[in-house]
Amino acid sequence: MATLNIMVGEAQSNVPVTILRLEGDIDAATQKALQDKATEVVAGGATHILLDMSGVNYMGSAGFRAIHALTNMLSSEESSTLSKSPYLKLLNPTESVARVIKTLGFDMYLDIYQDRDEALNSF
Amino acid sequence: MIDKENKIEILRGCKFLRGLKERVLSDLAANAETLRIDSNENIITQGETGSTMYFVISGKVRVHDGEVIWAYIEEGGVFGEMAVLDSEIRSASVTAESDSLLLSINREVFYEALSADPEAFKAVLQAVLQREREIVEQIKVRTAKLMSYQKEMEIGRRIQADFLPGSIPEVDNWEIAARFEAAREVAGDFYDVFKLEDSSHLAVVIGDVCDKGVGAALFMTLFRSLIRASSLYGCVGSSLIDTGPEKPTNSVSEVLLNSILTTNRYIATTHAGSSMFASMFFGFLDTETGKLTYVNAGHESPMVFRKNGDIELLDITGGVLGLFPTASYAVKTVTLHEGDLVFTYTDGVNEAKNLDGDQFTEQRILEIAAPEGNDTESFLAIVLDAVRQFRGEAEQSDDITMLALKYLPQVAAG
Repeated sequence: MATLNIMVGEAQSNVPVTILRLEGDIDAATQKALQDKATEVVAGGATHILLDMSGVNYMGSAGFRAIHALTNMLSSEESSTLSKSPYLKLLNPTESVARVIKTLGFDMYLDIYQDRDEALNSF
Repeated sequence: MIDKENKIEILRGCKFLRGLKERVLSDLAANAETLRIDSNENIITQGETGSTMYFVISGKVRVHDGEVIWAYIEEGGVFGEMAVLDSEIRSASVTAESDSLLLSINREVFYEALSADPEAFKAVLQAVLQREREIVEQIKVRTAKLMSYQKEMEIGRRIQADFLPGSIPEVDNWEIAARFEAAREVAGDFYDVFKLEDSSHLAVVIGDVCDKGVGAALFMTLFRSLIRASSLYGCVGSSLIDTGPEKPTNSVSEVLLNSILTTNRYIATTHAGSSMFASMFFGFLDTETGKLTYVNAGHESPMVFRKNGDIELLDITGGVLGLFPTASYAVKTVTLHEGDLVFTYTDGVNEAKNLDGDQFTEQRILEIAAPEGNDTESFLAIVLDAVRQFRGEAEQSDDITMLALKYLPQVAAG
């Protein structure tokens, strides 16, 4: 059975950024863990989130749905007219996940970075 | 503190021990232990062997198999008696639903007490049979419920099938074929082919709503209907409002783009909370010139097999539909010539898995596809056979949808 571990970190950029480091698979069985953790950090005051995807081997449509729900949680009036969320970004997806992101065109909706500092400075 | 008299009182009130003589109840009570169990504490674990039965004095426990709850047992109820009687493993887990007080009696104590009284065995046997009858009744009710769910699901499937075109329009010089192989579970694949009013254009749609089950099926009907309605009636030139003979018209690419943007924005705003999305290839084919104007919204790249053997992929021109209201899409065109074939499909084809978990892949489609000399029906049959052969004994886990168009080679007159 698929598992997903989520570690929460903080970094100071132009704004405080919450980093969720994901490890495992994001599928129908594990997406709730991501959704719950995201809800928890947003309720705790997180406004900018970087999803560190380097430990994710597989992401199915449930994972994309969870990420969309997270962008909605973080959205504001200003961000609703932008084509990409200024509050949620992705870091370093593995090759297989990057391929699915590209097939579905999710790179048109989210900024994706390979470098942690570059990602943090982009907020 | 519960003394022996209290214990006898509790056991006497238990349906399972009805008919036992006072002496037997007294023996049982003398050896019964009182247990305090916290809420959510596990009492019995499925699959383990056990030799203890429990009587609920107060509180409530749940009998369950993982997440599935079979029953709740409250004050006066008994559980764990089956393993005591037949020495088999525990058939379900039992966990305290609330802080509970239990009486526990183990197998040796139980048999010892009963052995003193032959009538007691009869009483317990009757109680067990009564319990079995109740279980059979429960199974009957649940089976009837399940049958009615299955019937509802079958009706849903039939209604969903109505959202696929009953027949494909016939167009001079073009051959069009489609295949839809539903997986066991309802899913969200769809395709559509229809003529645009007052023009030589044919709309071609293939899509796949994320996830499976009833949710995907419902959204499939929404995506399919929105794209069809908006492309037939949604633009100035095709509007239902009669603007007279001077009515302005939109270009083909404007109608196409408007339909995609309307569908995307409607679902992304009206159903934002659902986070449901669809990948879709949507094109308008000018059946006179062979020009295919299209948007590929995050869908598997359709393949253009040229008559001369070249292959072109119609890669995405935008992301999946239904999530982000501001999403933008590029409209592209490709011109088809006589003898060319376009193959579109959903991920039930390239992601079909064999028993080893390997996927069929886009590469295999390219290797086996031989459009030359084949009509579209035979072409789809070849791909489907190859997928089935690859899958072997593995179950079809996703819908398979395929749509192929071929510009028929013209026979020179005379």
